[in-house]
Amino acid sequence: MTATTDAPVRPRPSSAARAVPLTAARLLRIELRHSPMPWILPLIAALFWFDSYRPSISQPPIWVLRTFWNMGQGHTIVDFGPFVAGMAAWIGSRDGRRGTSDLVTATARPRWLAQLVTWAAAAIWAVGGYLVFVGVMFGVYAHQGLGGAPPWWWVPVGTAAVAAFSAAGFAAGVFFPSRFAAPLAAFGAFVVMMLSSQTGFTATSGWALILPTNSNGNYEAVSGVFYRYLPDLPIARVMFLAGIAVAVLGLLGLPSGAGGPGLRRAAAVVTLAGVAAAGTAIGLAGTAWRGPYGIVIPALHDAANDQPVRYTPVCGHAAGTPVCMNPAYRRYLPDVTAALRPLLAEMAGLPGAPARATQVPGTYTSSEGEANPVVTISGRPPVLRVPLDALATLPGYTGFTGAPETEALFADQLRALSVHAFVGAGNGTGAPAQQAVQAALLLRVGVPFAVQANVMDAGNGPGPPPPPTTGPVYAAARRLAALPPAARHAWLAAHLGALRSGHLTLAQLP
Amino acid sequence: MTAAGVQSSPSGAVPAPAAAWPAVAWLRLARLYAVSRRVPAALGLLAALGCLLWAALYWRWNIAGGPAAQQFFSLAIETGAAAVIAVTTYGPFGEPERATGRWLPWLRLAAALALTAAAFGALAAGATGGTLPGGTLALLRDLAGLTGTGLLAAAVLGGAFGWAGPMAYLLITETALSGAPATPWVWPARPPHDLGAALCASAVFAAGIVAVTVLGARDPGRR
Repeated sequence: MTATTDAPVRPRPSSAARAVPLTAARLLRIELRHSPMPWILPLIAALFWFDSYRPSISQPPIWVLRTFWNMGQGHTIVDFGPFVAGMAAWIGSRDGRRGTSDLVTATARPRWLAQLVTWAAAAIWAVGGYLVFVGVMFGVYAHQGLGGAPPWWWVPVGTAAVAAFSAAGFAAGVFFPSRFAAPLAAFGAFVVMMLSSQTGFTATSGWALILPTNSNGNYEAVSGVFYRYLPDLPIARVMFLAGIAVAVLGLLGLPSGAGGPGLRRAAAVVTLAGVAAAGTAIGLAGTAWRGPYGIVIPALHDAANDQPVRYTPVCGHAAGTPVCMNPAYRRYLPDVTAALRPLLAEMAGLPGAPARATQVPGTYTSSEGEANPVVTISGRPPVLRVPLDALATLPGYTGFTGAPETEALFADQLRALSVHAFVGAGNGTGAPAQQAVQAALLLRVGVPFAVQANVMDAGNGPGPPPPPTTGPVYAAARRLAALPPAARHAWLAAHLGALRSGHLTLAQLP
Repeated sequence: MTAAGVQSSPSGAVPAPAAAWPAVAWLRLARLYAVSRRVPAALGLLAALGCLLWAALYWRWNIAGGPAAQQFFSLAIETGAAAVIAVTTYGPFGEPERATGRWLPWLRLAAALALTAAAFGALAAGATGGTLPGGTLALLRDLAGLTGTGLLAAAVLGGAFGWAGPMAYLLITETALSGAPATPWVWPARPPHDLGAALCASAVFAAGIVAVTVLGARDPGRR
């Protein structure tokens, strides 16, 4: 018997190479069929409706406002995360609970790869469910004719979060194979999400921006309406969440029974890559700064996203003055024109009276969705610039108010803010003479003194409310309002310049 | 070879201990049942949750926000305890156990009640770390109601998935609390002495106990 050293090496059958992915595909198909993850999806669907969709319908019909709660603040992730983590933990603990770990470790397929296939099946169900539920919700929103653009970038963030929760839960089940792995994974995921929400409410900068429940500075009412949603932070969040998922899945390949030395080295590399991705994402979030219309991460920022969205305004007329708005706010045009009509009629012919009214984007602070609703009059000819998105009194349900806002309150606030700008009172309450003229003009357009104090402060109005409706200011206002229209108009025409410059005193009012 | 002569015990044979000491047999049955349901591990977890509640109250872990936020930690820990109790209803034996264990309903009842009492004791001890929102009465009400949701979920979904009931209720409650709900079915939002909330929580607990006692957790044999 001789050694056949001269014999040609038999090439590996080409079918063998093809068999590996085919076997993996078959394994995946089997796991997809046997995964219990779909059983939890009906429960998640009910919770998704209750917690994500139902509260959103009380928001104004603008994409960014309607999805603020469920996408911006990550409630779709809160609805999925704990349950997906719990089910994944149950799936991951399967071999350990059944005492078959040694049996499956001895099979031809490396343990780690088999675990990855099992996790993949669970993740496919979970992520698929997330995409279907979000897709249905977006479809309903689209059917309702929301204004603006959908927040597409937040969908991959949610997808990555669901995948990360499934990976973390699965790993918990593998490493702690017990019937209690599932409830503890779900409990842990819920606590993590709530802590993330807490941090998201308060942290306006730094690493905490990476949390998918943090909407500070990056989900404002102008997004998708006047400006694009900036994708910088969503990209970093996807990196962070995907990094967590990859790192956790890599950990599964580190134990001695997971596979051969080569495979375990590969698992170590995968783990490090995941940690690096998550760490890099946190570092990128730390470099973020608040741009005019969202969070900017310099390393990820594309200047093209800073360009305003082009649109053809929708216009109406109020007392002969054009009133133009962003088409996303089309349904509020009748309310705005109705509110401005008596005011613009009262101002007509006076120096600095608006020749046009237009909607402008609000200017937002670094906190969560808050803007100062400052109405201005500027330009030649003068233009009344109304940041409608910054007003918290849009007719109908806004936010989580118990009752809908009325058209009357909206009209009163819009008139008050406009008159405030007209008399040149600036960001404060204004000089006493300005307060008096403002009160008189508002009284003339149907806003009683008693209401004025409230509407000026409604929805974070500019500065503190005016003083009570007594005293010299209101006495002067009553006198001015009592004048015949022609006389009042003539007095205003003669004194508006001095009034706006702050040189007029109460004693100089008629 | 025949069986003749084996109808009586040979001289000197000792009677079976179980027959001689029914109480010992009962204890052995209860112990085996408890072990099969991982009751010792559950007791350890409940103790750990009690410690967690103590730490949360002692160091005043809190989250920003309204009533939902203020109650969050205590409510979440009570939910965790209820989830642990629900999962203990999972039995690995399925049909053989049901066919042969005539005392099974009583064992289920005893285990559920004992674990609920243990959870209340552990959490009440943990509540000494600080001021528990609503006090001990609210703790009892909320824990009982949450445990009821877990037992009901175990009866419907299976013992292994009983945790989904309390978790779902917690999520619903957290959402509902932000809107100041008036319904007693969101009992954590009601004052401790609210009769309607207490009745609702008690009803859910009773329904869960009855379901698990009579029906048991859904058969896990197919999973």
